Amino acid sequence: MTRDFLSVRGLRHFYGELQTIDGLDLSVPAHQVLGLVGPSGCGKSTLLELICGLREARAGEIAIGGDAGSAPERLARCAFMPQRDLLLPWFTALDNAALALRNRGAGKAASRKRAGELFERFGLAGFEQARPEQLSGGMRQRVAFLRTLLSDKPVLALDEPFASLDAITRAEMQEWLAARLAEDPRTVVLVTHDVEEALYLSDRVAVLSRRPARVVDSLAAPAPRAPDRDAAVTDQGFVAARERAMHALREAADRP
Amino acid sequence: MRLSRTAAIAAIVAAIALVAGLAACGEKSEDVSGETQSFGLTLDFYPNPDHAGIYMAQKLGYFEDAGLDVSIDTPSDPAAPIKQLAAGRTDLAISYEPEVVLANQQGLGVVAIAALVDRPLTSMIWLKKSGIGGIADLRGKTIATAGIPYQDAYLKTILARANLSTGDVKSVNVGFGLLPAIIGGSADAMLGGFSNVEGVDLRMRGKDPVVTPVDKLGVPTYDELVLVAQRRRLEEDPEPFRLFLAALARGTAAAVKSPGATTAALLEANKGLDPKLTRAEVDATLPVLGAQRMSTPRWAEFIAWMRDNGLISSAPSPSQVMSDDYVPGKIPE
Amino acid sequence: MRRWLLPALLLAGLIGAWQIAAGSGALAGALNLEPFLVPSPAEIGSSLWENRALLAENGWVTLREVLLGFVFALVAGLGFAVLLHLSETLRRASYPLLIASQTIPIIAIAPILVVWLGFGIWPKLAIVTLVCFFPITINTLDGLRATEPDAIKLMRTLDASRWQILRRVEAPGALPYAFSGARIAAVFTTIGALFGEWVGSNSGLGHQILLDNGQLETARMFAAVVVLSLIALSLFGLIALAERRIVTWR
Repeated sequence: MTRDFLSVRGLRHFYGELQTIDGLDLSVPAHQVLGLVGPSGCGKSTLLELICGLREARAGEIAIGGDAGSAPERLARCAFMPQRDLLLPWFTALDNAALALRNRGAGKAASRKRAGELFERFGLAGFEQARPEQLSGGMRQRVAFLRTLLSDKPVLALDEPFASLDAITRAEMQEWLAARLAEDPRTVVLVTHDVEEALYLSDRVAVLSRRPARVVDSLAAPAPRAPDRDAAVTDQGFVAARERAMHALREAADRP
Repeated sequence: MRLSRTAAIAAIVAAIALVAGLAACGEKSEDVSGETQSFGLTLDFYPNPDHAGIYMAQKLGYFEDAGLDVSIDTPSDPAAPIKQLAAGRTDLAISYEPEVVLANQQGLGVVAIAALVDRPLTSMIWLKKSGIGGIADLRGKTIATAGIPYQDAYLKTILARANLSTGDVKSVNVGFGLLPAIIGGSADAMLGGFSNVEGVDLRMRGKDPVVTPVDKLGVPTYDELVLVAQRRRLEEDPEPFRLFLAALARGTAAAVKSPGATTAALLEANKGLDPKLTRAEVDATLPVLGAQRMSTPRWAEFIAWMRDNGLISSAPSPSQVMSDDYVPGKIPE
Repeated sequence: MRRWLLPALLLAGLIGAWQIAAGSGALAGALNLEPFLVPSPAEIGSSLWENRALLAENGWVTLREVLLGFVFALVAGLGFAVLLHLSETLRRASYPLLIASQTIPIIAIAPILVVWLGFGIWPKLAIVTLVCFFPITINTLDGLRATEPDAIKLMRTLDASRWQILRRVEAPGALPYAFSGARIAAVFTTIGALFGEWVGSNSGLGHQILLDNGQLETARMFAAVVVLSLIALSLFGLIALAERRIVTWR
């Protein structure tokens, strides 16, 4: 029996008087990926921030590793990867990646060494001294992900990490992320507007309604993070799952 | 990269601060041997021939002989010296008899202890080519003034002697621009220039000026430049002041004897002066220097005139604003 | 190099026109002034050369006031910006006061500063600091507040303390703004130093300008103004140079 590592119970949240989340329940077993899809503006990003402890929820319980902690406690156990890479232009790729290590007090040499060791595996070999503006979109996302990984947090919250990339790069990055998670498993909550991406990368996908957000459908992904992406997404089971998710999504989008 | 950037900023800032700071520290006057006492003098204006005795005393070491290390501040604002004095930032200031009386009205506790120039230098000046023959001819003319209230009262008194009122002339406040006003022709006459400075300047430029000090035109005579000190300081420790005035007397005597050396001393003190003009001004000034005594009855008359012209509300007695006790040769009771 | 060509041509043209107008006496005639009150560029140039020792001596005095005053203004300006950024309460309390501080006419406050601080360098530093800190503060504060909120959220999840967020994200991001403010402040330094000298000083270009004015040494007065402009331009250039070296990512 897998114990839930991350669980959300009865989450309710408001933006002023407007209710944005209405009784949301989620559960993610350790080292698994939960994909979240939903109509635009349904509050997916806010949900991630609440899970991470960047904000306090109005009502409900969010527990990590069995502890229903406070927001700051969650913050210490979650790493957040925002939609835009937000690499700091005044640091090199290496120093950007090593940020979490520096913040925790590691010396410059030590943190650069540790980050540098992963550059090759992330396909960034030779670009350690590059400035963010010199990197392609895909490379920037990889540096951003490395930065997230190096924070050594058990929970990763990824907010539409590949939204700004073109279709080909996005597919490559999904395969690449799958490989990284295979090497270094974490508990992940992945928000994306791309249903196929959610089904490929996640173990389970939850479909959210429009605001106020609730879970309207939850389905298991047929082949989470299969090494051969092209084969996986054309598989019958995958296509069926995608149809079901799209249907739920369309209904959620249409409902007033 | 980050470290070198921060270091670069810090280095530039520190370098500038260090250089400028060190240089600024260099401005502090050096501590001379323990025997001399530092003594601050603030002039009335930039170094000019009126200060001949001071600069000669400085140059020939007379202040040092008296045990004084005199530092001289040269303001560009003639209203500054008495303020500096009242604030205790200087020991002695050069100012004007009317200013001393006004300061007394404000309760500033300052007192004139010697005259530097014991007669008026402030003059009414017009150019010969203007065709003005006397005060009466000023009717309807434009007169440039420096905008000083008691000098406006001079004008009123001067005009009154020719049965004119201030409404019969156009008076224009030009501040420091007296010379340009009269040279440029925007004024027919000007009041406020000194006979030994602006008067000489105009003569050297070939403008043919007619220069009449105001005490020849009906204003009671007064001491144009006086040395002023804080009464409290004088009562506490009169010795340095006596020593200063004695050394000044020696310096003035030396200046009067050698106009050439005096001119050289002034040019050294104020490097922007024109040598020929300065020499001419020195020649015009030396004859009026030397007498440090102030006359009680004449001060009383001038103070009364100030009151009658509404410049002060009540007339202090002369002993409240001046004292001859520190001038060399006068033995205090 | 080409960037300098156009302004240089314009400047040369203006100087040329001025030389013709003043040299021929036409300008003086038009203004109804004596010719020596309207010097030509040639006369100013020769006065610059003849009086180079005096101008250098006084120029050095004023340069010290300008540089040191600018450093003080920089420290005060950046300091205020950081303090006001870190504390919302402080910002709301101080902001109107800071703006009010700029409405105090320097002409009124300068003589008082001389009485308080004497004839030395300190009143000039006070005036330059007062006049120059404001653009630095306002611009730097804007820069600090322009930080992407998402970048700050990100840093919080990367375990950054408030100080680390300031040092690694907000401050570097604010540097271009700070330099903007510094450039504006640079051109005011000479005005501040000048005011300080006008009310209480024994030396410096401002002091000399006043004396020259009184003695109608108009050409030399203009020469002093030229030196003053050169000082301001040099400071401006120094700042631009520093920015190029420090802000390497734009």
